[in-house]
Amino acid sequence: MNALWKIFRLVLKEQKTAILRGAVLSLVVLLAGIALLSLSGWFITAAAAAGLIGMGAVFDVFSAAATVRFLALGRTAARYGERVLTHDATLRALTTLRTKLLSTTANATHDQLMRLRAPQALNRLMADVDALDGVILRLILPLAAGVLAQLITFGVLWWLVDLRVALWMVSGFLVGSAIILIWTARAATQPSSQEEAVAQSFRSHFIDLMRARADLAVYGQLLRQGKDTLDIDANRQRHQSHLDRIERRSGFALSLMGTIISAGVLVIGMTLTETGDLTPALAAIGFFASLALMETVGPLRRAMAELGRMLVAAERVDESLAPPPLRAHCSDYGETAELHIANLSFRRSDAKRPVLSDISLTIPSGESVALTGASGSGKTTLLLLVARLLNPSSGNILIGSVPLSNWDESKLRSSMTLVPQRSILMSGSIRTALHLADPTATDEDLWRVLEAVSLASVIKPKNGLDFNLGAMGSGLSGGETRRLVLARAILRRPKLLLLDEPTEGLDADLALLVLQGIRSYLPDATILMASHRDVEKNWTDYSIDIDKLAVTALTN
Amino acid sequence: MKSAETKPEIDKHTLKQMIAPIGKRIRAASALGVASSSIWPLQAAVVASAIAGLLPGQSGGLGTFISVAIFSALGLLRAGLTYFAEGQTFKAGLQAVTSIRREIVEREMQTIDTTSAASTAALATEKLDMLVPYIIHYAPAHARVIVLPLILLAITFWFSWAAGIVLLITGPLIPVFMALVGMAAKEASQRQMEDIGTLNNVLIERLSALTDIKLLDASTAVIAEFSDGADRLREKTMRVLRIAFLSSTVLELFSAIGVAMMAVYVGFELLGMIEFGTYVEPLSPAAGIFLLLLAPDFYQPMRDFSAAWHDKASALAVAGELAKWRAETPQKLLGQGANVEPLSGAPHIKLQGLVVNTGSTEIRYSDIKIVQGESVALMGPSGVGKTTLLKLLAGLLSPDEGKITVSGQPLNDETADAWRARMGWMPQVPHFLNMNLAENISLGQSGDLNAATRAAAIDDVIAALPGGLQTHLGETGGGLSGGEARRITLARALFAMPDILLVDEPTADLDEGTAKQVMAGLALLINRGCTLIVATHDPVLAAMMDRTVLIGGAS
Repeated sequence: MNALWKIFRLVLKEQKTAILRGAVLSLVVLLAGIALLSLSGWFITAAAAAGLIGMGAVFDVFSAAATVRFLALGRTAARYGERVLTHDATLRALTTLRTKLLSTTANATHDQLMRLRAPQALNRLMADVDALDGVILRLILPLAAGVLAQLITFGVLWWLVDLRVALWMVSGFLVGSAIILIWTARAATQPSSQEEAVAQSFRSHFIDLMRARADLAVYGQLLRQGKDTLDIDANRQRHQSHLDRIERRSGFALSLMGTIISAGVLVIGMTLTETGDLTPALAAIGFFASLALMETVGPLRRAMAELGRMLVAAERVDESLAPPPLRAHCSDYGETAELHIANLSFRRSDAKRPVLSDISLTIPSGESVALTGASGSGKTTLLLLVARLLNPSSGNILIGSVPLSNWDESKLRSSMTLVPQRSILMSGSIRTALHLADPTATDEDLWRVLEAVSLASVIKPKNGLDFNLGAMGSGLSGGETRRLVLARAILRRPKLLLLDEPTEGLDADLALLVLQGIRSYLPDATILMASHRDVEKNWTDYSIDIDKLAVTALTN
Repeated sequence: MKSAETKPEIDKHTLKQMIAPIGKRIRAASALGVASSSIWPLQAAVVASAIAGLLPGQSGGLGTFISVAIFSALGLLRAGLTYFAEGQTFKAGLQAVTSIRREIVEREMQTIDTTSAASTAALATEKLDMLVPYIIHYAPAHARVIVLPLILLAITFWFSWAAGIVLLITGPLIPVFMALVGMAAKEASQRQMEDIGTLNNVLIERLSALTDIKLLDASTAVIAEFSDGADRLREKTMRVLRIAFLSSTVLELFSAIGVAMMAVYVGFELLGMIEFGTYVEPLSPAAGIFLLLLAPDFYQPMRDFSAAWHDKASALAVAGELAKWRAETPQKLLGQGANVEPLSGAPHIKLQGLVVNTGSTEIRYSDIKIVQGESVALMGPSGVGKTTLLKLLAGLLSPDEGKITVSGQPLNDETADAWRARMGWMPQVPHFLNMNLAENISLGQSGDLNAATRAAAIDDVIAALPGGLQTHLGETGGGLSGGEARRITLARALFAMPDILLVDEPTADLDEGTAKQVMAGLALLINRGCTLIVATHDPVLAAMMDRTVLIGGAS
């Protein structure tokens, strides 16, 4: 509930004016509807009474008729305005919410990003946020407008008709619908959040089934995965049917409540007319108003049934909206790009074994070093630590003379770049792919950097910079993709370049050509690369075995 | 499906087909719905006579308590009928959607194409769900719009021809306007749906590339770009909504004007200020009140139907996607991928005259025999069909010509599952299921997990993971390097203790040390007597095998 309230406040802050205006209009719609029906009922009954006693000529028929027309048109206009206003405001607020969510996701730690399952994250950004549109549109606005409309009706009926009619009708609606709607919300919260969880589980089982089909088939698990997937769907249907039953019961109860209240108003009105306390026309007002008041509770039934889904969505969204960490600022970063690592250790929380322990290393500005060692010895982890994608458990990293933790994010990224083992390209032209690294680069700059990684001659016959990559950068071979990723990184002209097995998938001659191209493009950069290929090791100024770094530190 | 049909026809045809099995249920529910809505005129008659009975000189009402009792009983009946009718349509909707979902899952269980998993999943989940509102609303609203306005019109004409004409004039304008708006709505909602699809695809890419985006300091630009896309989607959504609101506003306007005209006419008539519109006698007060109570319900079915019109537009769009999915002709898997008793007999393999069409090229394989316990390297240039041969041997693909004999039996739908029960498989790029690492290795079988991870030399890597064997990995093993992910698939193969292991490029892109570890793991299997078939470019690995088979014409 707390999360739901927070989201509501967020949306309200974002779109205060529009939502307040929308709220006023929703109230106008409800009141005009009640007034229209009541007035028509009064008008007809009063007209009949006047006609019967031959007073037709003196009855002020024209102002009544004009009011009926005014209410009819006014209500229609207000309804249109209210809908456009509140929907637009809600959609705007949700767009802002989505953007905020994406930027907090982008600020997540490296380990979180590595384990991020894109379809699930997508679901949070799209489906969960979509589920929140009901918070304003179907829950809070109708609730506020409905209660206000009932209270105002109470006042008007008391003044115009009779306290007893007003009391029965409005307290009936307030108490009756409160009981029914609260029951609905309570009964539906659990199944509706379960339904959502089961729907997610269906999606993830089904995607796994499709993506890992070959593995599952060979290990004899495809049929089981399929059965599990269908079982989950059957389970989801059970929840859906349960929810539907709750919602229909709630609708039945509300409809019955309306009938009972109208019947009661009729009884009270008729009795009071017989005793002469009320005219028939005023009694008719009461009855017609009771019919119209149903409109104040009807739309809420849906919202109550959806409450569970909204709560889950609000909690997940709220959880993901944690603010990014603040960084200390530093004004002078210096010009050199010497890399200094001292007594660095890294262990993941709950892991049995540290990945790195007590590593020390200094690379003077402008030198290139190949970091060697068996797979699993922590080369990649060391690069991630230097790139500040991971935070060390202990020890220090300095770039220039500034501790890594003191670097401003943007400044750090412009001074240093890492090319990870697996990089992902996105669909779009080669130009778009490179502009991601530097939006200000001219076509001439782009050709120069493509030349440096020996990609220019490959791209030229393929429509040049306008060559379009497919989804996830498809359309280039593995080696071409690798070179494009390298080009993207060096286009930023970093002072410190970190490369993780940069020439994987390139044959030795081409690898050397690319490495030389990188050096001549960045003559002054400090380069640290994780490497296991001879061509890379031979090209750098020197190689260091990562296992020896810890030993050196010990002997020092 | 005839190729001559246009896309809208296919969509309509598919939609009709989708709801055909639930037709009976829907018709029953629609009849219940009509019955429930026809109770209101009765309630209105009771109330009208009761209120009119209060007027001086009017009598013949049923009396307070009888009127109220009948009114309430009818209300109860109406609520009850609605309850049952809605229950029936919901069940029908669920039934239709479930059977289509089952169709999708079952076909995907038997095919081997791995393209477009995300969009197929979207079709099976949120898109199919969009059919439910259509099923629930459209047919019942259609039934009501055909029956109720006519009944109410007839009743109104019975009392007063002028009041009937009021309804007659305002009523038919509604469907005309609705059709115009409906056409615009369909187009707009299709555009909006395409936009949702595009935005989702863009977002999936961005989410997968967040690390790269961060390293390139492009977060701000990417977020701004996304925000623009989301804003465009909002505008398109608003365009759809504006049309929907406009159409319902117009309907509401007609209905409000109709009710107001009715009130004014009836009022004037009762006052005696107009004296036309009735047949013999002027309108009685009871008839006047009755007509006023009926008027809103004359328009209500048309308004419901117009709302359902929008549900139909999205249902048609979903039907179109389903038709597209049905038109695909994916490769079928041999067998079901079930966990069955392994095939008996020595696992010898014999390939005779195999030919496979991969769409663009035709691959012909020379005849090959592999006996139990043999280790074979499949070599040849990239794209020559090494991976395809492994898939053929696993029964994941079936050849266009020729036959494969395993353990003395033809590899076909009957034997494939039992054959695979003896088999292990190491793909080049693994997909990790959304389960923890232990479950990803064991895949539901029992055995010694620690022995397998030790033999694959992966226990050190697992020890450095935050949750050890309980860690959940990203889809493609995010958090592990390529070599580590490869060794996880080796552990999976070792764990399953297969008689035959098919391996695709196990040492590609690995450093020497890791390649050695992987080869040691494979050697372990050879020593256990496992038949090993390895597609590779690596001469060192090939040398470890008993023999090398060259795939491709040059040999």
